[in-house]
Amino acid sequence: MASMTETAPAVERGNHFQMHLIVALALVAIGGGYALFELLQYGKVQFNTTNYGIFWGFPIVVYDYFLLTSTGLAMVAALYHVFGLEEFKFVAKRCLWLALAGLMGGVAVLFLELGNPWIALWATPLNMQTSSPLFWKVLLVGAYTALLAIVLLGTIVNRDDRRNPLMYAVGLLALLITLAAGSVYGMMAMRPVWFGGQLPVVFLIESFMGALAFTVFFTHLKNGFNHDTMRPQTRALFEGTLANMFAISIALHFILHAGRVVTGLWSNAEGFQVWGHIVASPLFHFSMWGCIALPFVLMLLPATRRNGMAQILAAALVMIGLLISRYEFIIGGQQVTLFKGSWSPEILSYSPSIGEWALLVLAVGIANAVYAFAAWKLGAEEHR
Amino acid sequence: MPKWGMVIDLETCTGCQACTTACAMENNRLPGENWQDVLFYSEGSYPNMKLSWLPRPCMQCENPSCVSVCPTRATYQTEDGVVLVDWNKCIGCKYCMVACPYGVRFYMDEKPVVEPDIRAAFPGEGQRSWNPPFRMPDEYEDPSKGIGIQPKGVVSKCTFCYHKVSQAPEGVADLDEANPETREFTPACVRVCAPKARFFGDLDNPESKVNELIAEKGGVRLKEETGNKPKVYYLSGGGAPVVPGKRSTRS
Ligand code: SF4
Repeated sequence: MASMTETAPAVERGNHFQMHLIVALALVAIGGGYALFELLQYGKVQFNTTNYGIFWGFPIVVYDYFLLTSTGLAMVAALYHVFGLEEFKFVAKRCLWLALAGLMGGVAVLFLELGNPWIALWATPLNMQTSSPLFWKVLLVGAYTALLAIVLLGTIVNRDDRRNPLMYAVGLLALLITLAAGSVYGMMAMRPVWFGGQLPVVFLIESFMGALAFTVFFTHLKNGFNHDTMRPQTRALFEGTLANMFAISIALHFILHAGRVVTGLWSNAEGFQVWGHIVASPLFHFSMWGCIALPFVLMLLPATRRNGMAQILAAALVMIGLLISRYEFIIGGQQVTLFKGSWSPEILSYSPSIGEWALLVLAVGIANAVYAFAAWKLGAEEHR
Repeated sequence: MPKWGMVIDLETCTGCQACTTACAMENNRLPGENWQDVLFYSEGSYPNMKLSWLPRPCMQCENPSCVSVCPTRATYQTEDGVVLVDWNKCIGCKYCMVACPYGVRFYMDEKPVVEPDIRAAFPGEGQRSWNPPFRMPDEYEDPSKGIGIQPKGVVSKCTFCYHKVSQAPEGVADLDEANPETREFTPACVRVCAPKARFFGDLDNPESKVNELIAEKGGVRLKEETGNKPKVYYLSGGGAPVVPGKRSTRS
């Protein structure tokens, strides 16, 4: 049946993914090469973090961004595998491969950021510090990685789109990781910008919204950004259910984000002055209006939600906007020191070093390389 | 088991930084990365200005958030209540630094606070990230307690000079540099304080000097709202706020 097979000829598809892989590997070489050179030559002193306030810098932003994108993508795949939403059948496998791709990009950056990553592998599970959200996060990510790999191995062996009962566990783990990631920040009662029980929910919504954006973007990418070659079912999904979900999650994200900003600006409490600093930056307005409000409108209006280019634009803006708001959140939460001394200005300043930017390039490269290779050789884009 | 605590009298402290220097020498600290520091503050503008300073070691909290968040239990509390870091287990995630309300933890792999980077001039070998020209005797070093020369990729903090205080004779109420029997076991910052603004002793011992001072002079702890319950108490004679105003600007 025409509608059940790929519209682009197989050879062309192969070339397309090969090209994607080459570009991705080039990014790995550039980003990884620079970062590794710097780390081996000088060590982490090249990062712009300090012992005087900004402890978690851009690499942590990148890691969390990729990890939460990964868990969100697993949740989107779970809509088909767990909840049986047939509409998501033709994007589910792509989402799962992208979930693995994002995970690998994020974890690679984390390994280069941590002081002793290899010790983490044994010291975290063996010491059972259950009061630490990071302990749970590490444990859950380990289980998630293993199960996701098994599920994907199944798709390589069977080359089909059957629902996999293991996805109940993968979906649940993805959900728990997202909530735990929110708790890592939300439990910090001493840090007013982060603290709050709503943080896990905020992370959940952002993760799901980001995943929908990645689903839309990579589906279009797979079709060479040509709306006409898209499978009719996928096109219907993107103009219907997925567009609705996307618009609702963007709206929720906007409400929660704006709520925190307004509360922060209104409050006199020590620490909240960072919100004034954040709102004064053009980056904030670009992310708020350009990367949240505009995509919402694009997904809301019937004419634009049906337009391929508008879908791609909305997805790309959300992907960029999420990175900006994750950056503002993680760095902003540390910009007012908890205990001031003679060394501490009103607001600490921070901007990523070239080496820290290189880690973002590396993560993007790794994630794309994993996906492109899976699409080229492992059947990530074949459907039966 | 004693519950070691410290009292710092702000009316007596002159801000001379002898404690900071002694701590740096005793514990092989990098210049500027002081486990014990004296923080300076100014409020207002000339001529209506107030200058103040605050000696700040690790608060050695009874309820330390750094211990709760450490995913590997690298940060832990000893039976006598001292918070230490096991460098063999620390993964350098810096979550403890994020969770410490007092900013008293130090990661090794950061830009030097004081240029040029002394680590380059005195490169270390093996686990030692550098080789300080001034350094504690090798027999004191114990990476499982965060004592010695800080390795790369780990976090360090004030140990209350655990290599000293843990050797103190059993049952002593105070570790006082003026007492020849306890001088050797007294933390470096207390030992060198010329105007005697620092006192160190057992908070569980009703006979201790630290308890007497806290009771008689109204000792207070910093940032009580966090619930961390520091074991470092400040005396201010009741005249002025102990903690410099939160909105103080840097001096
Ligand atoms: S940096 Fe080390 S001591 Fe601090 S929380 Fe992480 S593992 Fe624990």
